[in-house]
Amino acid sequence: MWFDILPSFWEGTKITIELTLFSAVIAFFLAFAAGFGRLSKFRAVRLLAATYVEVFRGTSLFVQLFWIYFALPLFGIMLPKMVAGVLALSLNAGAYGSEIVRSTLISVPKGQSEAAIALNMTPWQRTRLVILPQALVMMLPAFGNLIIELLKGTALVSLITLSDLTFVATVLNSSIMRPTEIFSVLLIIYFVISLPFTKGIQWIEHRLSAGRY
Amino acid sequence: MWNWEYAIKILPEILKALKITISATFVAFVVALVVGLMLTLARRSNFKPLSLFAGGFVGFVRSTPLLVQLYFIFYVLPEYGLSLTPFVAGVIGLGLHYSTYLAEVYRGGIESIPPGQWEAAKALNFSTLNTWKKIILPQSIPPVIPVMGNYLITMFKETPILSAITLVEIMQTAKMLGSHSFRYLEAFTIVGVLFLVLSYSSSLMVRRLEVRLNLR
Amino acid sequence: MSVPLKLIYNEDPTKNIGSEVRKNIVRPIVTYNNISKSYGDLQVLKNIDLEIAPGEKVALIGPSGSGKTTLARLLMTLEEPTSGTIEVEGEMLWHQRVNDKLIKANEKHLHQVRGNIGMVFQHFNLFPHMTILRNVMEAPRNVLGLSKDEAKERAVKMLEQVGLSSKIDAYPAQLSGGQKQRVAIARALVMRPKVMLFDEPTSALDPELVGEVLEVIKAIASEGEMAMLLITHEMDFAKDVADRILFFDQGKIIEQGPPKKIFNNPESERLQTFLSRFNRH
Repeated sequence: MWFDILPSFWEGTKITIELTLFSAVIAFFLAFAAGFGRLSKFRAVRLLAATYVEVFRGTSLFVQLFWIYFALPLFGIMLPKMVAGVLALSLNAGAYGSEIVRSTLISVPKGQSEAAIALNMTPWQRTRLVILPQALVMMLPAFGNLIIELLKGTALVSLITLSDLTFVATVLNSSIMRPTEIFSVLLIIYFVISLPFTKGIQWIEHRLSAGRY
Repeated sequence: MWNWEYAIKILPEILKALKITISATFVAFVVALVVGLMLTLARRSNFKPLSLFAGGFVGFVRSTPLLVQLYFIFYVLPEYGLSLTPFVAGVIGLGLHYSTYLAEVYRGGIESIPPGQWEAAKALNFSTLNTWKKIILPQSIPPVIPVMGNYLITMFKETPILSAITLVEIMQTAKMLGSHSFRYLEAFTIVGVLFLVLSYSSSLMVRRLEVRLNLR
Repeated sequence: MSVPLKLIYNEDPTKNIGSEVRKNIVRPIVTYNNISKSYGDLQVLKNIDLEIAPGEKVALIGPSGSGKTTLARLLMTLEEPTSGTIEVEGEMLWHQRVNDKLIKANEKHLHQVRGNIGMVFQHFNLFPHMTILRNVMEAPRNVLGLSKDEAKERAVKMLEQVGLSSKIDAYPAQLSGGQKQRVAIARALVMRPKVMLFDEPTSALDPELVGEVLEVIKAIASEGEMAMLLITHEMDFAKDVADRILFFDQGKIIEQGPPKKIFNNPESERLQTFLSRFNRH
């Protein structure tokens, strides 16, 4: 009796995975832009990046999604559900991601950039050859966790009636009224999607603690 | 576009709902603190099934959406005769979800205690209970208070999700106001600004607390 | 500009005259003009004037916190002077002359002048994510623009010179402190700087590893071409290697001269006290 409802989840699963991947890619770029922006030598850039990060960390994804979907149209900006969903998810995750980028960049010991200066590297070479390779490795586990948070966040788009996994489940439940099975299956599907990321993070953390660092 | 008159008119109603939001936050936080500590201790237990269960619970709850967990509590439990009000279901769901994060916070605090402290407690023949109560927890909790404060703020920001199980907190109030007037801009913007101001100012307080603790 | 200087040096008419006289003949490679440096209310360098001749080995001694390290860091452009100017081969380091006015140097200018200077740090600062070979190759490739083969050849030769050619594929974490510091020396040398700064290169090492690093530095010093500024607490080493010793205290050069004079006939009371602390051991 559990299996008969499984196929109904297929389309929703695809939407959920698509949402997660699209948003993760955009969030990744935003995270680097804002993370570097907060360390810029130009005050205006620092201020802009900090404002973005504080606004999107100071409110929840829920509020951001609803604002983008329901309030923006009053400015004449009417976004399709999928676009509104990806936009809210990636802006939100990008703000958290920028903190990962910023904190790992500044956690590379000062002696590293001093050694790079002593070798007469240009600022860009210092970042590209010395700082970033060391910071990237440290970022990986945190970015893995961010993707899991992003995946969990996608469930909220069901509330603007985008037909992701959760939306499919609630519609199904209102027609066949079998909440125990439907919501159990739903939770398990999310858990299964997140598994590769959880395992990947564990693997990386294990390698980092055993490795040459 | 933006109507000040309307915004001022709806402001008192939104502020009234803030009371529900804040009480849900604090009750859920207490749930998270208590369950989080229990999970941490259970994971360290020598009784394998208990530690495995706690580890599995943390892993599962952390990688599934809070919204779905709330649906589960709100729609599945009544099937087994346990009907909960939106408020109770909401604070249990929110509290359980964040208990898994707080479990990690406790763990970090406990693991930062040097082994010498455990050995000293053993040398003085303290019971297990007393070792925890008198030696380990009093040292491991104060340093992580700022992190706990940050989770309190996170939980506060997440309370709008409780509107999905019909709890009338500020987001639900804003939604209802919006659907009556077909104007969402003012209501949602007010909610956003309220969250931003409250969470940003509290996070500044947490940062100050952190500095004070570091100075000690 | 470097050609006439090199000529003077190759002929080396001054070899036996001693550095005090020599610096009046040869144009200094580094000049500190009235340099001061403060952090807030704390003044760590007070109106320092100092000239270093090409090829000259200068040792800086003095109590910790006396400003020795800051003096080197200003020259490496790791820190900016509060006032005064520094010249390298007659060219301003921290300043540029634009329309007869001195303005703060931009990154491009710093990049151009900094190429003459190399530095070895107290804590090595090797790049942990690169093998030993790449640590030494990276700057010749990217900064000097050498081809991969040329850079590798130069790096390997340099690592042989410091006795580490067998460790080429290891990562820094796999080396002892002494080996790390020798790699760091190779990494700085491979850029062929005209001035090398050594900032307490042995003070982070276990005592039994100090010797191997000092040997390497001595060998480089004996080749003679490079000016060296050595900050050290190893008095015997300073005596051996340096042409001139500067005694630093509280942000000032208190006394300077050839090693013999400084160690055998210290004039100032402060230097006498400082040296007596070492002699007791």
